[in-house]
Amino acid sequence: MTTPATIEQQSLGDVSDLPTVTFGHRTLMWWGTVGFMVIEGWTLAILLAGYFYVRQNFIGWPPLRVDVPSMRIPTINLLILLGSMVPAFLAAQAARRLDTPGVRIWLLITSLVSVPIPILRWYELWALNVRWDTNAYGTAAWLLVGTHATLLLLDVFDTFGLTLFYWFKKMPVRVMSDVVDNSFYWYFMVLSWIPLYLIVYLGPRLF
Amino acid sequence: MRARSGRSSIEQEDVTLPPPEPIDREQLEMNARQLDVTWRDPGGLWGWLTTVDHKSIAKRYIITALLMFIAGGIEAAMMRMQLAVPENSLLGPDRYNQVFTTHGTTMMFLFAVPIMNAMGLYFVPLMVGARTIAFPRLNAFGYYAYLVGVVFLYVSLFLNTGPDAGWTAYLPLAGPQFSPGHRVDVWAQVVTFTEIAALAAAVNIIVTTLKMRAPGMSLNRIPLFVWAQLVVSFMIVFAMPAVATASTLMLAADRAVSTHWFNPAEGGDALLWQHVFWFFGHPEVYIIFLPGLGMVTPIVETFCRRRVFGYDALVLANITTGFFSFGLWVHHMFATPIPELGQSLFTAASMLIAIPTGIQIFCWIATMWSGRPRLTTAMLFVLGFLFTFVIGGLTGVMLASVTFDKQAHDTFFVVSHLHYVLIGGAVMPLLGAFYFWFPKVTGRMLNETLGKWNFWLFVIGVNVAFFPMHILGLNGMPRRIYSYLAESGWGPLNLLATAGAVVVVASVAIFLVNAALSWRSGAVAGPNPWASSGLEWATTSPAPSYNFVHTPLVLGRHPLWDSVGPLPVITGLRHDRREVLVTTAFDARPDHRHIEPEASIWPFVMSLAMGVTWIGSIFTPWAVLIGLGMTLLVILGWGWESSRVKDAELVETEDRLVEAV
Repeated sequence: MTTPATIEQQSLGDVSDLPTVTFGHRTLMWWGTVGFMVIEGWTLAILLAGYFYVRQNFIGWPPLRVDVPSMRIPTINLLILLGSMVPAFLAAQAARRLDTPGVRIWLLITSLVSVPIPILRWYELWALNVRWDTNAYGTAAWLLVGTHATLLLLDVFDTFGLTLFYWFKKMPVRVMSDVVDNSFYWYFMVLSWIPLYLIVYLGPRLF
Repeated sequence: MRARSGRSSIEQEDVTLPPPEPIDREQLEMNARQLDVTWRDPGGLWGWLTTVDHKSIAKRYIITALLMFIAGGIEAAMMRMQLAVPENSLLGPDRYNQVFTTHGTTMMFLFAVPIMNAMGLYFVPLMVGARTIAFPRLNAFGYYAYLVGVVFLYVSLFLNTGPDAGWTAYLPLAGPQFSPGHRVDVWAQVVTFTEIAALAAAVNIIVTTLKMRAPGMSLNRIPLFVWAQLVVSFMIVFAMPAVATASTLMLAADRAVSTHWFNPAEGGDALLWQHVFWFFGHPEVYIIFLPGLGMVTPIVETFCRRRVFGYDALVLANITTGFFSFGLWVHHMFATPIPELGQSLFTAASMLIAIPTGIQIFCWIATMWSGRPRLTTAMLFVLGFLFTFVIGGLTGVMLASVTFDKQAHDTFFVVSHLHYVLIGGAVMPLLGAFYFWFPKVTGRMLNETLGKWNFWLFVIGVNVAFFPMHILGLNGMPRRIYSYLAESGWGPLNLLATAGAVVVVASVAIFLVNAALSWRSGAVAGPNPWASSGLEWATTSPAPSYNFVHTPLVLGRHPLWDSVGPLPVITGLRHDRREVLVTTAFDARPDHRHIEPEASIWPFVMSLAMGVTWIGSIFTPWAVLIGLGMTLLVILGWGWESSRVKDAELVETEDRLVEAV
């Protein structure tokens, strides 16, 4: 009977002193994160295509008897989102230095800065000044903002979880790499919001 | 070359290999024993639910998908019985609608895509010489998500709530006005489950292929099956979000919370559905048969005893087909008001895609021509594929012409075309692949005599069943009708098609009997029964839980044909924990060691939470919120499990290598 050990083998190299923790694009998790960014970004892009497709059926945008979206809360939230990239970046930097106290502090600050974001996002939906079931304009705008909000909520929660673990649990050093990837994904969430903000909130005022 | 210095260890061309050090048998046995303890699944039901072994998960995928093939086949047989004679009353119109919709949904979403993914999930890690797949827990989650979809569809069907608006769920028929009740909701959610599963598989296959290849397997040495899986995985990443958006964020929302994507009265547009659906739906066809084409190459190489002709051309053809497949979707919509320029563009693109497909066919013919073909069952299925698929391809070029398409649209001509392409392009190579790789999965050979019966009945049955449908379509028989009048003259050809279907059923039955008997008592295979060239044959049959005792070192495109003597390997991965070797994306140089997770219950729990969310959302939108809460909790548990402290690690920071806990 053949067993794995009966297949003759000869060694031509040894990898025992390669590192077990690396950061960024060298890691599997970074590639997986990019994969999910593409999937989620593409989902938003398809919704955006739907938004422009139904727009062809309207003479005005927003349609008659629908107010343009309010700008105040969405703009405040955009600024918070942009600002939250700073502690996220510093958390990633601390993780690369294996600086556990730094990671704790910057993760905590990222989490605290993130608290108002999903709450304001709820008001942002109402700042569209149209309901999802009023017309196709309302549908497209709600679904775009709502889908981004769901992804955002999941990532905010992810950051909360990581913060909790770092404060109340002894963490293995390999999770430092996950902290870097968590920040990387957060940049994506923030940056993907900019075109959506411009199109959904500012667009109807300009065109 | 010693793989000591972090990043630069294996050079491709100017490599100076150190003198090989044979590893003695005792050492190998000790390593194997230790690896077995580290990588083996826990036993019992708990072990079954928590396994993250890519081979166990892929086997479940394959078996579930085969059950779906049988279910879809039974539905097809029911339709053929109903249509065998005019004015038949075996199935009423309502039952017939459910049966043909479930048949299409099953075959496309629950059989074809999952089984092709599953073949990749099983063989890609073995073919690239990896111990496991990149994200084993994500892989297990994908399978359970798919299983929830399978169970949900069939429970619904038996509760008389099977979807009934066609597998394409066109609007406005599938909208709330014309399809009240929950039948279409079932369809929309089943699609969501399977798309999530396909996306999980695709990301896994991409990362495994790009980052976990054995040292030396640079991009230009990747086996063609793996190339096909890689291209298809990228296609899935861009195609599946379209149907997930269409089904969940658009159709289900229109039906559950009165959004207006497709309601023309409020500015929506029914044609938007066709665009978004076919933006997924056309690449879907290639997602199904490109892996089939990937299976053809190793079979042809092995049984012609010759390296494939035109490796570069085959890789480029794969990639071009992937690109072009996204530019064809409007040819499904020629009967809608599309501007003429658009029609011309999509006609040209639809004809253009025949070129890379043709290149592949000629490469295989050239390989066979210059080799010494041995007509095993696997090889016969490749020949059956060439014959059947080319007919389907030619009718595809016919349908690319707008004028012809407008005549044949929604007739049995299209039914015939799509079955020739999908059965010829995907099912025949898949059956060939079963005969080829069955020994690797089970350790036993399939019976060749039964295999030849299986082959001949299948090819004859498929052609007798589907060829007459071309003529029926040209004679004006529409698809998706449950009955027809005798005066139409369609009776005799329909009866012939049904006879063909009976032959196909007999062939599939022989295959199942063969598989069952051979799994139990077939001839023992050994590691490489066909003397083939891929790395999957460099380990035992079936492969152990850790795939390889040591990571193979690849010195050419055909590892087992390129080197003689003992298998060249790289040592140094730890045996007492689940370590895998991560390599660079282009040249596959050893980069670092990565620790993979152990068995986990969280993938199963996550899929249950997702099941509650999506199935519940059919009945109340609040289920989404409840499900979201459950998902967040599961993420916490999953994360907690990932952050267990084990050993000190070697960390490579920007400028130094440090040991840290």
